[in-house]
Amino acid sequence: MEDKIRRHVDELFAETAPTKKAIELKEEMIQNLNDKYNDLVSEGKTQEAAYNIVVAGIGDISALLSEVQEDAASAAPGLFETEYDRRKSAMFTAISVMMYILSPLPLIILAMLGNRDPARVGVPILFVMIAGATGLLVYNSMTKPRYHAGSGSMVAEFREWQADTKDRRALRRAISSALWAVVLTVYFIISFMTFAWHVTWIIFIIAGAIEAFINLFFTVKK
Amino acid sequence: MSIASDLIRGHTDTIILARLMDGDNYGYEINKSIQQRTDGKYELKEATLYTAFRRLEGAGCISSYWGDEQTGARRRYYKITDVGRDTYAGLISEWARAKIMIDKLIETEAE
Repeated sequence: MEDKIRRHVDELFAETAPTKKAIELKEEMIQNLNDKYNDLVSEGKTQEAAYNIVVAGIGDISALLSEVQEDAASAAPGLFETEYDRRKSAMFTAISVMMYILSPLPLIILAMLGNRDPARVGVPILFVMIAGATGLLVYNSMTKPRYHAGSGSMVAEFREWQADTKDRRALRRAISSALWAVVLTVYFIISFMTFAWHVTWIIFIIAGAIEAFINLFFTVKK
Repeated sequence: MSIASDLIRGHTDTIILARLMDGDNYGYEINKSIQQRTDGKYELKEATLYTAFRRLEGAGCISSYWGDEQTGARRRYYKITDVGRDTYAGLISEWARAKIMIDKLIETEAE
């Protein structure tokens, strides 16, 4: 029967964001209701009657509930993206992009310096930098704080929806950056193998077309 | 619940402060003593009780702490503060004045 009281209170709190205040109020209520229930039973009431008296004595707690979740945002900072997280994420993204851009640089410099086989050192460096940048992007999107469900309120639902769209956008970005990394690598490999620099740039146009298709796919799926 | 409940409702804060003047206590025990003092004729709804607790705590009249029961769940106890004692004294004298006034206002000339 104590479970039944807890379940009833759980239902009353179903629409309430789980702030510290709300959780405390809930525990306090359950505790007091159980005390009341046990008293009524020891007075000789049947379990059913005692439960009904307890539930009827609660009254309308809607005003109380909106009061305890008023400061939901400040009471549960863990649920929301903070300024610090945003800066960290921006830094990771910036470093990754920088690494993508700089990755062919050693190769180009070696070639310009007249090195006979620039690919021997340049290509491994290029690969390492691309791998590092991609790893950083993936790590960044996976460690970003997420919005949790658990509350049926409109605000929470909207936040979740927002987070969801953000996740999709992050995925699209990750695919796009991986695509360009691969394209760049393929371009250099083919070029150095064939030395047909005058035609191999075509690869970038093909890549642009592929990315357009991927974007289209995401837009349609949404 | 009786017809008097509307009249009593306006004095919920005074009633709770009075109970806490007798010592620290938790929600159900406070409500039980209210019930016993009225021979079961009056009892606060849970909603009214907790709303009053929050209001009084916000006003600095009471403070709360979690008890350290050895068995079972922990209870949230309330304690009256110095501000609460002053508020209680003020409310009591206010009520005393109001009681005299109301008695006079509802008197009739007929004997």
